[in-house]
Amino acid sequence: MGGRLASSHAGPARDSEEQIFETGAGLEIRELYRPDDIAGFDPAQDLGEPGHFPFTRGPYPGMYRERIWTRRFQVGFGSPLETNERIKYLHSQGANGFVITIDLPTSYGFDSDDPLSDGEVGVTGVPISTLEDMETLYEGFGPDSVSYALSIRPPVSSVTLAMLASVAQRRNVPFEKVIGTQQNDPFYQMSGGPLQTITQFFPLEGTLRLCIDNIEFISKNMPRLNWMVTNGYNLRETGVNAIQDGAFTLGHAFDIFRRARARGLDVDLFPRRASFFLSCSIDFFEEIAKFRAMRRLYARTMREEFGASNPECWRLRFSVQSAGNTLTRQQPEVNIIRAGVEAMAAVFGGAQSIHLCSYDEAHGLPTEESSRIALRTQQVIAYESGITKTIDPLGGSYYVETLTNRMEEAIREKLAEIDDNGGMIECIRAGWLESQINDERIRNQNDLDTRRRTLVGVNRFQIPREEEIPLKIHRIQAEQWGARRGEYLREYRVSRDQGRWADAMARLEAGWRSGENMVPLLMDALQNKVTMGECHEAMRNAQNWSFR
Amino acid sequence: MTAPKRILLAKMGLDCHDTGIITVASMLRDAGYEVIYLGLHNQADQVMKVAIEEDVDAIGISFLSGQHMTQMRRLLERIRERGLSIPVFCGGVIPEDDARALRQMGAADVILPGTLSSELVRLVDATMNRVRA
Repeated sequence: MGGRLASSHAGPARDSEEQIFETGAGLEIRELYRPDDIAGFDPAQDLGEPGHFPFTRGPYPGMYRERIWTRRFQVGFGSPLETNERIKYLHSQGANGFVITIDLPTSYGFDSDDPLSDGEVGVTGVPISTLEDMETLYEGFGPDSVSYALSIRPPVSSVTLAMLASVAQRRNVPFEKVIGTQQNDPFYQMSGGPLQTITQFFPLEGTLRLCIDNIEFISKNMPRLNWMVTNGYNLRETGVNAIQDGAFTLGHAFDIFRRARARGLDVDLFPRRASFFLSCSIDFFEEIAKFRAMRRLYARTMREEFGASNPECWRLRFSVQSAGNTLTRQQPEVNIIRAGVEAMAAVFGGAQSIHLCSYDEAHGLPTEESSRIALRTQQVIAYESGITKTIDPLGGSYYVETLTNRMEEAIREKLAEIDDNGGMIECIRAGWLESQINDERIRNQNDLDTRRRTLVGVNRFQIPREEEIPLKIHRIQAEQWGARRGEYLREYRVSRDQGRWADAMARLEAGWRSGENMVPLLMDALQNKVTMGECHEAMRNAQNWSFR
Repeated sequence: MTAPKRILLAKMGLDCHDTGIITVASMLRDAGYEVIYLGLHNQADQVMKVAIEEDVDAIGISFLSGQHMTQMRRLLERIRERGLSIPVFCGGVIPEDDARALRQMGAADVILPGTLSSELVRLVDATMNRVRA
């Protein structure tokens, strides 16, 4: 990536402070943008109408005039029961969608009583080990009435999808009415993103197969359930810039789509409910341009390269979380402002759903108080600021359109580099992605050390430690949570019909070997009280693979 | 000129946030330390084993998902059981109270987010010099 450092972009401003006139990703920013900067710009071709090709102005015709974005609330800790109680409370407070965070053992496919789960149960999210756990999470809500997005990935997302389908069956909710978002990104769900996170506990090829199994099952059975293609958020959180973010996110999606097509799935059907999870960082206009450019590039690629003729398959829809990695431990109240700026960029960028990081992010897990402020920030933007009242208010701005064009071009160039390296999955396998990420991490730290980039409270405008306002802290009770879950699972395993359990386990292994879609088989297993961890064990066995 | 000091860095438990530790590894290498990075998902015994085999002068563990108390307790216990005196640093997203508790438990230092390179190196150097003295 060229153009990062160019002294011509820098210069003293009138107050003699050194400023660097470039975006976070290193694109030059000029003094003023004029009509001739967008010469050749054709509004019919490059903008279109909202809800129409190429979707630059937004994925839906009415945008926020018809429906304010979903204000998502992140929830999940301790146990399914505690989490469900918290959801009921938040629902009464105006949150209308939930990101359910899962604890780390569940994220890797381990039951709460697995030795590897020791000390981690319920800490970063809710543990889910049984179908009963998922039923508890849905207590008081139907899968057709409340939208959950479980932060999960294959292989585990196949099991949670099977749980969701089973809950729907037991509640007599037809599959076609099930709503929510099924995260299904095999690579980036685990923050950080080294290949080791993907390959340590389950074979990579098996994970990829389950990813496509999920897409097939959802596109054939659950037309209203979104499935998340790329978790671009976690990818961006590693420190890559906005151009890499756009390219890696889309490159990954196109690779997965090629695999789905190779399975025989219809390109006019399966991408309909595909969705993306993206980060919105602090560089305001660059982020807005990134979202607009990604939407346009996606539409063009889906129509021209994949040959999709269904307009629903051209439309990129995304949820946003504000960038945790822009927040500071120092003077944490300032983070409320950062999240506010990021939320506005997401709104100008046309997000469908937003979740803001809590200001205490760098101190620990969010508290009730800090999560509430994050929700209130969104409510001020949605209901007080008025910026939602016309669609794509920045459309036609000389600067925003120029930057959108340049972002699209830069993302396209990076995508070509990915294609030259054999596609995104190959780039990950070969370690190319990891080296791109690591270069950026070092560069970011260097930019802070040298004050090339300002981080208020960290490398400028600091205060002495004793002036910092003390924060409330979310208390972790890992030991008690683990012990309670251990007891629950012992009981669950003892009281089940052992014969039916063993038969279901055998069907799982046989189904894997014969190449069946695993989701219905997992439903059968869960309904016969096979636990989530045991489902994974059976699938590992079927691949003659073990890590223990 | 003495031989460079060796530091073993590792992530423990199931946490996989590695931006911090990768960045710290690079800062320490630039400052002249020899860094061995053990990757993710290590148990206390594995960290101990490598620390002894590689004869390192210090260990650094990074956390972002709330398992710092459990994992550090285990690691420090193992080190004491073996009668070793290797200083163990830890860093990451750790609440203030826990940072104090970790120092009391025997952590050489707790390094928190927003630490610039010069400060990090100063903190590590100070402990290493204390150990040598």
